[in-house]
Amino acid sequence: MKALNFEGLGGGYGDTQVLRGVSASVAPGEVLGVIGRNGVGKTTLLRLLGGTLQAMTGTVRLGDLCLDGWPAHRRQHAGLATMPQERLVFDPLTVRENLTLHRADRSLARYAALFELFPRLHERLALPAGRLSGGEKKLVAFARTLADAAPVTLLDEPSEGVQPENLQRMAACIDTRRQAGAAFVIVEQNLNFLLPLLQQVLVLDHGEVVRAGSAGPADREVLVQHLRV
Amino acid sequence: MDALVGTYALNLLYQCALLALVALGLAIVFGQLGIMNMAHGEFLMLGAYAMVVVQRAGLPLWTGVLLAGVACALLGAVVERILIRPLVSRPFDTLLATWGLGILLRKSVEAGFGRGYQSIDHGWTGTLQVAGAPYPAYRLGLMAAIAIALGALAWWYRRSPAGARVQAMVSNPGLAEAMGLNTRRLALGAFVVGCVCAGVAGALLAPLVRIEPAMGMDWLLASFFVLVVGGLGSLGGLLAGAALIGGTQVAVASALDATAGSVAVLLLAILFLWRRPHGLVARP
Amino acid sequence: MAWWRGPDVWLPWCLLAAALVAVPVLGDDYLAYQLGLYLLYGLVTQGIALTWGRCGFLPLGQALFFGLGAYVSGAVLKGSEHQALWWAAWPLAVLGPAVLAWALARVLFARRFESGPFFSLITLALGMLGFQIASQWSSVTGGFNGLGGIPDLPGLDRYARLYWLIVGVVLLATAAWVALDRLPIGTLWRATAEQENRLQFFGFATDRLKALAFGLSGALGGLAGALYAPHQGLVTPPVMGFQLSAELVIWAAVGGRSSPYGALLGAVGIGWLSATLRQEFVYWEVIVALLFIAVVLRFPGGAVSLAAPLWRRLARRSASPRAVPAPTRPGPRDDEVLVFEGVRVVQHGVTILDGLDLRVATRGVHGLIGPNGAGKTSTFNALTARLPLAAGRIRWCGEDLAGLTADAIARRGVGRKFQIPSIFPALTVAEHLRIATWAQRAHGMDLLRMRTQHWRTPLRDAVEAELPFLVEASGRPAGELSQGQRQMLELVLTLLPEPRLLLLDEPCAGLSTHETAQQLALIATAVARLQTTALLIEHDFSAVERLATQVHVLHQGRLLASGTLAQLQADAAVQAVYAGGRK
Repeated sequence: MKALNFEGLGGGYGDTQVLRGVSASVAPGEVLGVIGRNGVGKTTLLRLLGGTLQAMTGTVRLGDLCLDGWPAHRRQHAGLATMPQERLVFDPLTVRENLTLHRADRSLARYAALFELFPRLHERLALPAGRLSGGEKKLVAFARTLADAAPVTLLDEPSEGVQPENLQRMAACIDTRRQAGAAFVIVEQNLNFLLPLLQQVLVLDHGEVVRAGSAGPADREVLVQHLRV
Repeated sequence: MDALVGTYALNLLYQCALLALVALGLAIVFGQLGIMNMAHGEFLMLGAYAMVVVQRAGLPLWTGVLLAGVACALLGAVVERILIRPLVSRPFDTLLATWGLGILLRKSVEAGFGRGYQSIDHGWTGTLQVAGAPYPAYRLGLMAAIAIALGALAWWYRRSPAGARVQAMVSNPGLAEAMGLNTRRLALGAFVVGCVCAGVAGALLAPLVRIEPAMGMDWLLASFFVLVVGGLGSLGGLLAGAALIGGTQVAVASALDATAGSVAVLLLAILFLWRRPHGLVARP
Repeated sequence: MAWWRGPDVWLPWCLLAAALVAVPVLGDDYLAYQLGLYLLYGLVTQGIALTWGRCGFLPLGQALFFGLGAYVSGAVLKGSEHQALWWAAWPLAVLGPAVLAWALARVLFARRFESGPFFSLITLALGMLGFQIASQWSSVTGGFNGLGGIPDLPGLDRYARLYWLIVGVVLLATAAWVALDRLPIGTLWRATAEQENRLQFFGFATDRLKALAFGLSGALGGLAGALYAPHQGLVTPPVMGFQLSAELVIWAAVGGRSSPYGALLGAVGIGWLSATLRQEFVYWEVIVALLFIAVVLRFPGGAVSLAAPLWRRLARRSASPRAVPAPTRPGPRDDEVLVFEGVRVVQHGVTILDGLDLRVATRGVHGLIGPNGAGKTSTFNALTARLPLAAGRIRWCGEDLAGLTADAIARRGVGRKFQIPSIFPALTVAEHLRIATWAQRAHGMDLLRMRTQHWRTPLRDAVEAELPFLVEASGRPAGELSQGQRQMLELVLTLLPEPRLLLLDEPCAGLSTHETAQQLALIATAVARLQTTALLIEHDFSAVERLATQVHVLHQGRLLASGTLAQLQADAAVQAVYAGGRK
């Protein structure tokens, strides 16, 4: 299993640099939580890691592979799975197609465990994904990303819009995979969801890191301060 | 009387089918990929000239269709790399560059073949009795072929894995990339298919029209109008547009004259651009 | 300072005049006759340079106007041989195409904020239609054979004297082109080409600006056609044809689309060359096509752009000390209340605003906060006609804003600052400030007076004092400014029209701490000075704390709570939304 590490990562949109000098390292079997208020650059960080956005500065390594300059689809093949925050599904395609189109074998076998946890997905296989509710779309995207069984998985606000009972199951899924040796980088606003899962935290503000290091549920009070109005 | 109505209806169907065939390539390139290919008519023209080449070489005519497909595929691939890809975020410059390409192709063919008209004798001058009147067999065959081709393409787009991937790329390119789909290659493939459709359409059309280097312009405009009125991004839109444009053209032309038909189509297109720029059938 | 001052303006014109005069003097009359034809084509090409190079939209059927002018002029001249009254109709040769062009542009550009390749398509189709009509309507146009036997203009025989008229017209047209370019309208045209959306938010009706440009280009085309008829003595359908339209665009591109001299160079240079080489060298036109593609890909400025460095050296201009006070803007009114009533906005099947009820009735800064996806920017978009309302109403000063275009809403005193600075990269900083000063103050003829260029307001003086970079960088293109400077420039542009409702969308995004402080200070000063109402979207709560007297929290498209920041900090519901969990 590979580790993910990035150093001095910086990037933005057009000429605007939104993120500056962010570094961290995620070992196999670890969850790195990224928190911060809106607009501080959390989604930008995941886009830089995933390759949707090309970095202005810094490097990203997956194991001993240097990912700099690689487009997103190449990073995915190298073992980096991404679940974006918005526009999570292909609206005109059915749920089944959404779950299988990117793989050579069109089988749903790898979704067996996930279908047991989220039976609604299985019920809606033939429906166009655009007709699902926001929470259901999140589940589809979540299932698809986790079924990739990638060494490193990036999740951008996976809990947003998801019902509480499904949240617990999502957390269980992540934890199971983590124990199997996968690494996760999770951007979240919902600390109740995130804190029990993470081992490391990265707090961003105005595009820079203001706190980094190991963390756990005990650090709740301190971390909430970074999110407060 | 019945025979007249029957022939009229067949003519109408025939015009609409032609429009659908010609606009198909652009429906893929512009409707799906969003590329305003002003050289679409010239790809058609190249397909027609492929038939001329094959006829001059004494080969059977069906090889012309093959030649048209292959030539347009190669040209399309080169064009996508050199012109389309670098200008992907600048739609206006894409329009200009493809327009320049159209001029280049037109002038090259002029230099090679001269400006005069060419024609194809296909020898299929037979007629079939339809609705009590004879109707040219080639036209009937063509209409059937168009219907089958459209059906096959639609089926492929909806059912095949590659079709699903193209649909994915069109509806959400960022997600497609993140999921491991090579969107650049998909875009190249789709563009090439669009060019091949245009070339093959030109080859099939060749026995029916006057072939000359500037023939592409009328078809380019007709294709754009079909898509603007019908709606981009779906087969239903293509058919609706072909029906409305074809119907208007035929109706007004038979009531008045051909020029009036063109005026009516133009006015219809302007009306839609002004009031309902997304066309009749909304994008799915 | 008059528009013709500056060697970069009068020197090329004088050189052109000298060259054109020299031809019949140094050469012979026949050479002048041939050149005359291409000067006329150059005139039409100048029209394309105006719309394409300056305004940013490309007509692909310009020969339509040229042909119309030629046919009308030919018919009038032939008729005048029998009946002198026909002369009264000669101006139609110019006015007809001009009005047609203007009307077409008004129809096609209404309610849009991009020029659209569709416009090009429509003009292409119209050009082809014109050719068809000219070929078929034999009774009027003479069909394929056209109108023959067109007499000379009285006193101006085509092989000698007519050339001087053509030269006069070309020099006049070139001077007019350059004059318009230097007047305020020229700046607005260039801004339209760069960032039409932003220009609308200043309150400028960009569709009218573009229609004016297209109307003028139609006039130039018609004028050229009107002189073409007596010059050639014969007008046939290809004069309106697609071939000519295509060539005109190529000449404009290769010669230089942003310059009247480039247009002339293209028409005379490539056009004349093509006429001679076309017969002898069968691949000549292929080469020209390749040249065109190369220009599109690499040298958008055309041949003339190669002389650009020289041009720039000539253009050293001293800063004009003369300042003219601009007209004042209306002050505060009593009914400046913004009301959202049950506003619903749906996009792509997602409900972005779900029954938003918000009332902003006091002056000063109101903060608008909420988690991602709460609908804050959508509120601004719905207000400024960038998002249609599915239900509900938005009222400003008691007036329902439904159905108004963005520029109409801006003219009602609504100013918007975008989150991502939306400036005009190729225009200088000074030009930006001028445009903002003209916003909602300059009307009609103001745009055609040099005086308007020197308008100043007290607010502008105050802003320039607070942000010295505006003066230091005034001659530089705004595209060269740093990100922070661009944000501040964008804020200044929003403030200068002195709006009564100020919409600020994350004005400090991407700014350093120091720049943020400057930006906030500027907002505070301006709002106090103008006594205006401001809505501020910000994620940085220290900014909200500093500026806002009232804060409104949006959540899932609805108003969650309103109050002072302290009140909201104590509100458990608000905190829950932010710290996570309550969805």
